[in-house]
Amino acid sequence: MKKIIDVCTRVEGHGSIKILLQKDEISNVSFEVHAIRGFEKILLNKKLVDVPRIVSRICGLCHASQGITSCKAIESMFEIEPSEQSILLRRLIMIGELIKSHSMHFFFQAFPDLFPILKIQKNPLLLNDLIHFDVQLTSKIYELIKISDDIVGIFGGRSIHTITPIIGGVIYSPSKKDIGLARKYFQKASENIEWIIEKFQELFSHYTPPTKYFLPNSIFMGLHNNENYDHYDGIIRLKLVNAILADFTLDKYSKYFDRVDGLRGIDFFLREETNILVGPIARYKIIEGYGIEKIQSYIEAFNKSWQNNIIFSNFLRLIEILFATNKALSILDDYKLLNRIEITSMGSLKNNEGMGIVEAPRGTLIHHYHVNKKKLINKVKLFIATEINMPIINEILTKESQKLYERTGDLNQIKKQAQMIIRLFDPCISCATH
Amino acid sequence: MEPKILITSLTSCSGCTASIFSLDIFPQYLERVKIIYFPFISDQAKIEVNDIALIEGCVSNEDQVDILKEIRKQSKKIISLGTCAAFGGILNLSTEKQAESLSKYIEIDGIIPGCPPPLKFLGNCLIRILENKQIILPEKNLCASCELRGEYGNNFGKEINKIIFNSSEFISGIKRPECFLKEGILCLGPITRDGCECKCIKLGLPCEGCVGPISQDFTSNAINFLSTINLSNDLRKYKGIFYRFSKPKLMRSEI
Repeated sequence: MKKIIDVCTRVEGHGSIKILLQKDEISNVSFEVHAIRGFEKILLNKKLVDVPRIVSRICGLCHASQGITSCKAIESMFEIEPSEQSILLRRLIMIGELIKSHSMHFFFQAFPDLFPILKIQKNPLLLNDLIHFDVQLTSKIYELIKISDDIVGIFGGRSIHTITPIIGGVIYSPSKKDIGLARKYFQKASENIEWIIEKFQELFSHYTPPTKYFLPNSIFMGLHNNENYDHYDGIIRLKLVNAILADFTLDKYSKYFDRVDGLRGIDFFLREETNILVGPIARYKIIEGYGIEKIQSYIEAFNKSWQNNIIFSNFLRLIEILFATNKALSILDDYKLLNRIEITSMGSLKNNEGMGIVEAPRGTLIHHYHVNKKKLINKVKLFIATEINMPIINEILTKESQKLYERTGDLNQIKKQAQMIIRLFDPCISCATH
Repeated sequence: MEPKILITSLTSCSGCTASIFSLDIFPQYLERVKIIYFPFISDQAKIEVNDIALIEGCVSNEDQVDILKEIRKQSKKIISLGTCAAFGGILNLSTEKQAESLSKYIEIDGIIPGCPPPLKFLGNCLIRILENKQIILPEKNLCASCELRGEYGNNFGKEINKIIFNSSEFISGIKRPECFLKEGILCLGPITRDGCECKCIKLGLPCEGCVGPISQDFTSNAINFLSTINLSNDLRKYKGIFYRFSKPKLMRSEI
């Protein structure tokens, strides 16, 4: 058995590709992550009020999702609900986070690969060529990143590792000036993303995506709120092609999946031997639409060969940005945003365990905590989107590497292809190595 | 010739490198430099000769020590980007993982502390480094620029028994009448470097120390501070706050 390792580039964090060769045949290809940090252990014996600030440090891209999920989990222990204003603010912060995460992935990590994937040119664009490929595109992406940071800065206190979301609410009451500024930012973001979506169509829609990236048979998982696309609230849906397998509230999750003690990875207890997919494609598939006509027409500009291809996730990330900016603009019209800060008092502890869920940029994120009699954390389970996607990534990596190796016998091509497959899933290795 | 830049991370959350993208000067910065290594956004996989290396994250295994030494050989200047690289950072909370600063293994040419570094400060530092100037770090503690600072001397008068207010007792930063310590809430401002514009305090939260200690001699700072306050037994035993972003030398173990 020969083992070949290739370091992943253009992904968040440190990962590698492990290729196993046996008698000149590829037996397995897997996406490996390194340097597990052990946040589940770090949280042990911590005071509940301290937990959201610590878990934010799991990831510099998904920090708000991590912190807010943590607040939600702890709020469920006290059976409290944050004020409507706080929820609106949390949503705005998460929208800012999503715009930054998606636009950075799209431009720096995904876009350069579309050229070789669609056979427009042999190699991905190099960084310098990417920046100069279309100066308008580059500047619109930079603006989006900047806007998203400013938004999180206004409502979250700072753009990374936000300060304002705490247990029981958000300690910020925006001024009319803040709202006006945010509206200007989101209007600009909306213009930019529509331009980018149209540019994407113009550049790529007349190409046929390669069949090798067809979406494999998978069970889609995501949150929906009364059949509506929602990142903050809702129930979990599992869906296989057109069949809804289950709709359940978070407290029932362990009936469907769980984390096995002592082992890394998440186990799903479903009859189907099919892998689970979370993230933009899954969110789109579980409800089949965003409820906005303009978005639907953007999607329909691509035929079925696109819509059922993993590379479509790159387009859906742009669509999610557009959806999020629209949502943000409607939130900004809500007068409740201007209320005085209202933090729901924690009161007495009602349950010694609690769970929280959101849709983070890369998919479903769940925190589950237990406390001891002293109200210190004594058990933690974190369910991270990238970890959930790992088996499906590895399934595709192995299958497509085997095919390509049979045809070419060229390991360099295998590595290049594997790198591109991994990037299509936008893994967040910081989160996965929490 | 534009300066050659290397940006990489060790054990980290990617938040410090992600901060670079948030800077007003980011587009101009990219135009003014040549990125020779930045695995987050570039395919170049080899560490080559460079003028400025920005390294995020703490050292938590031997392989990273080797990588660091290689970067040292190839770089004219190495800057520790963020509190993890400068002091070890959040992983100091772990009882199993190592979280060492870069300076424990290689000579460094400057630090840009913060979790993440405050944006204005980060932007200024990056420009100064490009212009071949020294990074200017604030020499004072956070209290020096805190509006809640009173003339308390060393006597805060009250037992410090909370690390954060109870949610029902929240007072927004603008309205808070006096220092957190005076109200029995632990604020790490006295032993934390200034530079963040007191963002947390202004919003109503005590300082958790993310910019790190003022001097490398963290132990004596922390001990001095502890001797001035009346810390509750519960907080004395609590392993979550004092060593959240850096640990005294005595408490460190070897990789």
